[in-house]
Amino acid sequence: MADLLAVSIDFETSHLLFPKLIGSILALLGLAILITHRRAIAHSGAMWAQTFAGMDKLRFFGTLILTVIYFLLMVPVGDRWPNTGLGFLICSIPFVAAISILYMHERDARSLVPVLIVAVAAPTLVWWLFTYVFALTLP
Amino acid sequence: MFEFITPMYVFLIFSGTLVGIIFGAIPGMTATMAVAVCLPLTYSLGLDNGLALLLGLYVGGISGGLVPAILLGIPGTPSSITTTFDGYPMAQRGEGEKALRIGIVASLVGGLISLAALFFFAPALAEFAIKFSYVEKFLIILFALTVMAALSEDMLMGIFSGFLGIFISLIGVYDVTNGGNGEFRLIPPGTEYWLEGGFSLLPVLIGLFGLATILEAAEAGMPKGQSLKDIEVGAHSRFSRSVFKGQIGNLVRSSGIGTFVGILPGVGGSAASILSYTATKTASKNPESFGKGNPAGIMASESGNNGLTGGAMVPLLSLGIPGDATTALLIGAFTLQGIQVGPLFIGNNPGTWSSIVIAMLIANIAMFAIMYFAIRWLAMVVAIPKHILFPVILMMCVIGAYTINYGIMFDVWTLLIFGVAGWLFTKIGIEVAPFIIGFILGPAAEIYFVKSLESFGTLSIFFTKSWIAVLLWVLIAGSVAGSVMLARRKAAMKEAEG
Repeated sequence: MADLLAVSIDFETSHLLFPKLIGSILALLGLAILITHRRAIAHSGAMWAQTFAGMDKLRFFGTLILTVIYFLLMVPVGDRWPNTGLGFLICSIPFVAAISILYMHERDARSLVPVLIVAVAAPTLVWWLFTYVFALTLP
Repeated sequence: MFEFITPMYVFLIFSGTLVGIIFGAIPGMTATMAVAVCLPLTYSLGLDNGLALLLGLYVGGISGGLVPAILLGIPGTPSSITTTFDGYPMAQRGEGEKALRIGIVASLVGGLISLAALFFFAPALAEFAIKFSYVEKFLIILFALTVMAALSEDMLMGIFSGFLGIFISLIGVYDVTNGGNGEFRLIPPGTEYWLEGGFSLLPVLIGLFGLATILEAAEAGMPKGQSLKDIEVGAHSRFSRSVFKGQIGNLVRSSGIGTFVGILPGVGGSAASILSYTATKTASKNPESFGKGNPAGIMASESGNNGLTGGAMVPLLSLGIPGDATTALLIGAFTLQGIQVGPLFIGNNPGTWSSIVIAMLIANIAMFAIMYFAIRWLAMVVAIPKHILFPVILMMCVIGAYTINYGIMFDVWTLLIFGVAGWLFTKIGIEVAPFIIGFILGPAAEIYFVKSLESFGTLSIFFTKSWIAVLLWVLIAGSVAGSVMLARRKAAMKEAEG
């Protein structure tokens, strides 16, 4: 019995031991889930179709697309004025405004005023706080 | 001894509690989100002041959920679901203000009782755990995972989520500073530059709890908030202390249950309030009055979920294992300040330990003062439009991710990756809490496991090292058996219902 449980670990390959073990456990659990949840898994296509049909596509994908654009632009814009955090500030104002407008239900002039005020004030405040008070670098 | 108590410290606790209450009071936003979003503010605050802010957010966030639960019948946070059962009927009868005050007092009682439990229990548990070797530490982590799985919606998915979290945490280099060999594993070729240290904890957490929540709301089309006109506070309902007559037992029991649930790793507030609500209903002489506006129901629910706050800090500060999702974020805050939480934490950092306890005490008092005297304004918080809040929160998430390692853009992309992953998880049934605990404890589990085997050379060491190891196996087996029984009973009940 003692021999069965004995293990010797080669230091060179010891980085793979635990990932392999966890990977095998995950595979076993995955198999068990496949068997016990087979009905739900068989219907997963319908579930996704339903999710997709029921979702607010404009707001959901709009959020994702705007976020990706925001992330992509922040660094190149910031590189024009290095170490000032201006990339963050310049990109955040239109991003916050755009997301706010995307999420609004009634887009009339009266409701737009507070949205635009917040879109300018919040990033500016945060930028000032981090750059000058906390002395942390923003993009 | 108490030199950390400065005007700034008290101010931060009060502001944290206030912001926490606002987050808690807005349906769809939680205490976890509040802590995630405000973490970057603590980067330059120092440990005591940083924790003061975060603990205020935690206590406030858990408490704020009762406001919309009572006034609108919509739980502000998952932990106040059971508050709606009796709080909303009371509000409909025009007793909204009375119901709110009952909830606030119950929250305070729950918070204080659990704080006492933290104060006495955590140092004792830590002292006991100091003797643990790598073997016992590994088994504790295994136990934490099985307990979480046992209390998950679906045991199999719960444990899968926990192991998935461990697996993802192993991405990158096997860290030399912990005795690893410095080799890469689990990464696609060409990504070594970004993934050397794996995914950073905080961007992962902010993604899962901040961005994912916003994506879910966006998917649902940003449901319109309530307009102020719909909210009836019922300002003329009289609140007197006599409501609590005969309810001391209820309050103590519910706070105790909440604290206990908090101590169990990875089990959140909704379990705490549901269990205490059920226990109170079962113990009541007229259980049929519950769900129709019985003040005892609000007391059970609110003292239960606030009991969670102290309880969840117990395993965090004594074992380094977070008791719920919000305390998982606190681990991030500790790491940020270069402090490792574990059995040695309290003994080595007595100053920080007192500062944590005092901060939680002040936070509970602040929560009570703010909510009790500002009920009218709180009702207005519920109506803050999401289209103004969520974009600002998104921006704060980006700052949190970017500044965590002093300006690494990959951390911002990590935020996006895990935001989308968190949204996918809810669709396919992977549970976020076990995933996060697995992700946090994964690297430690690896070291404990591999180093134990390297020293002893046999797997049998995990069973024979000490009586504690044997006891832990008994507990692990017990939690697995318990969860199988629970699952069977659930299935039987479902069948009985047809």
